[in-house]
Amino acid sequence: MAYEEVRVKIPLILRILPWVSILAFFGTWEFIVDTGIVPRTMLAAPSSVFKLFIEKLRDPNPDGALLSVHAWTSIKEAGIGYLLSLLIGLPLGLLMGWFTFVRGIFRPVFEMIRPIPPVAWIPLCIFWFGIELWGKVFIIWIGGVVPCVIDAWAGVKMTNPTLIQMARTYGATDWQIFKKLCIPSALPMVFGALQITLAICWTNLVAAELLAADSGLGFLITMGRRLALPEMVVLGMVTVGVVGALIGVVIDVVEKQLLAGIRR
Amino acid sequence: MKIKISCRNIRKIFIQKGKLQVHVLEDISLDVYDNEFVVILGPGQSGKTTLLRIIAGLETPTEGRVFLDGKEVRGPGQDRGLVFQSYMLFPWRTVVGNVEMGPKLRGIPRDERRKISAHCINLVGLNGFERYYPHQLSGGMKQRVGIARAYANNPEVMLLDEPFGQLDAQTRYYMEKETARIWETEKRTVLFVTNNIDEAIYLGDRIVTLEGKLPGRMKSTYKVDLPRPREHTDAAFLELRHRIIEETQLLL
Amino acid sequence: MSMDTMAAEVQKVVKVKTPITIGRILRNEYFLYVVSFIAFLLIWDWVAKAQILGKSLDTPYEVMKELARLMTVKLAGKNLLGHIWDSTRRVFIGFAIASVFAIPIGLLMALNRYVNSIVKPVFDIFKPMPPIAWISIAILWFGIDEGSKIFIIIIGAFVPCLLNAYNGVRLIDPELYDVVRMLGGNRRDEIIQVCFPAAFPAIFAGLQISISIAWTCVLAAELVSSRSGLGWIIIQGMRLTRPALVIGGMVLIAIVAWLTTLLVSGLEKFVCPWKREIEAV
Repeated sequence: MAYEEVRVKIPLILRILPWVSILAFFGTWEFIVDTGIVPRTMLAAPSSVFKLFIEKLRDPNPDGALLSVHAWTSIKEAGIGYLLSLLIGLPLGLLMGWFTFVRGIFRPVFEMIRPIPPVAWIPLCIFWFGIELWGKVFIIWIGGVVPCVIDAWAGVKMTNPTLIQMARTYGATDWQIFKKLCIPSALPMVFGALQITLAICWTNLVAAELLAADSGLGFLITMGRRLALPEMVVLGMVTVGVVGALIGVVIDVVEKQLLAGIRR
Repeated sequence: MKIKISCRNIRKIFIQKGKLQVHVLEDISLDVYDNEFVVILGPGQSGKTTLLRIIAGLETPTEGRVFLDGKEVRGPGQDRGLVFQSYMLFPWRTVVGNVEMGPKLRGIPRDERRKISAHCINLVGLNGFERYYPHQLSGGMKQRVGIARAYANNPEVMLLDEPFGQLDAQTRYYMEKETARIWETEKRTVLFVTNNIDEAIYLGDRIVTLEGKLPGRMKSTYKVDLPRPREHTDAAFLELRHRIIEETQLLL
Repeated sequence: MSMDTMAAEVQKVVKVKTPITIGRILRNEYFLYVVSFIAFLLIWDWVAKAQILGKSLDTPYEVMKELARLMTVKLAGKNLLGHIWDSTRRVFIGFAIASVFAIPIGLLMALNRYVNSIVKPVFDIFKPMPPIAWISIAILWFGIDEGSKIFIIIIGAFVPCLLNAYNGVRLIDPELYDVVRMLGGNRRDEIIQVCFPAAFPAIFAGLQISISIAWTCVLAAELVSSRSGLGWIIIQGMRLTRPALVIGGMVLIAIVAWLTTLLVSGLEKFVCPWKREIEAV
């Protein structure tokens, strides 16, 4: 065969630049706080954020819980809401895509809920659920169910019409076509929905906690503001970002395992 | 007869994915005469598209040189027009917008541009479709826009890379006839790449075949002396076809 | 020639007539929509009257009365239109600033490898942080006035705009650049004639996502601390224990958000008429 192995070099500068950039970013950040260009009441230096991080691993003060407790509360809430979104949204979306009857019944309600940002539900939820777990789960669920339905619906709609016609010539019933044809065809979109829904659930979690909570990462951020401790605020933000990214990676790995062999 | 394009000992090696070395062309030497219609015939994966792209200037040969009118080819340019296999029309421009892109890039003023594009659109037979967007056109029509677009720049040489590969058989026959008609109307040097032997014999003055495996090497040349317009069922046509199939073991 | 008439035929639509029967009506989608909507209102009314959720739900009629009242009464010195305008104004200002910066940066990152390697790492650090998490720090920096809210909206709208501009350029078929070069264009022509127009659909998709994120951000910011706006109306409803006000506010938010989305897609149809219509979900 005419194929041989050969090495191609990426220019050295392109490989260093990302690291230089990140270092410059953190360096500037530390610098502007340490030299007082930005007052300490407004921004916390990376070093003090890191110090607080170490402290909060063991010290429940001054906000009432360890960092891990906060993180776990948030993950719990988001997790339950996320799973509920998938369990309700995906089947609903699949059914709505195929069965006119289901679509006819659920679409008006869905279209009414859809444009309302989940954040707007917060006061209503406080009425109904107080500031307990289920209020936040509801917010997360309302936010997450929408992309699930939409993507599952779109996935079914994208089923190859030729295959559907072929199935009909074999005398398949609507239900059979749905089970054997539409659902497998929709799988790529469904898996796409997993990631998007997760991002949306995580975002809404933070919103829900900002308003009404007594623990959790969003609560940590709000506490930081109330106690005028920017370190806490930044720590909360960073933790939110990191945990969100980690969960995304986990979902990615799970997806790759489940999809090993199926082409997207 | 004047030599329009001259390729000398072209060799091309690609590096794929940063690791794999692919030897695509080896020792290609080819002369194309002025206003000659040359067809490069070969099965898939024989390097013919690469050869065309090298002549177009979009790729540089690893070794060897290409001359156009005696001057070395160093990059793409307005003197060579290329018609792509997958049409490559600008979806955000109408038919007129696509066709006049070449003159527009050369800074030709709008009135003259309109005249040139009107002429080319008329040449390919798309009158009445000037304001249509590519997604509203059928495959054959899209390719005609591609041809008009290449012609609008008044290139010295027309390069066509399996332009009818994505069309169905009926449309393909029709487009072959149209291509012959357009070429007769406005004569030009043409280099036409295809894997279809009927197309090659119908269109070409001369057929150059490449080996069927990488690296692509020149196999043989056939002169097509049949009078135009040609008939697919003509005896001489079929005889030549038979000969080429025998000698290249081209499976159709 | 038959080719042209064939193409014209492709565009003709043929309507098929079917008979009207009771069965067909019951299975008709639009009929079901109407039935479903009415049922929804009836169930809502019943749940509110039977006080299943305690006193925290008002009937649809009460909500409508409240909405009518809002249109005549002044809340905190502004009438309803004033509040709607406050929220919408914040969304548009933040959205405009964000897109004006994010789109060029995204395009630049996709076109220039050096810019990409400098900006992308920092961007990737900030990307997973939800914009709402910035509210507290925004309040620390800008107080509870307009500045903090617009800041949040900018942060929220920035990411999708940049990402879509970036991907919009990256996903362009490289052969399109070949076309421009063959027609005699240089690098500048490539960018102006191919990159920008080809990236428009993706940029508009990004704008649509940005707008809905912007609405979420403005609401969240108004819920936390503000003196006017649609979010403030809802929070007032909560403070005064008036569910009708809360629900009325939510209805208004839905309508206004939907209208702005319509505006952006209308703009897209105007700027990108070539984009093929995929059946909307």
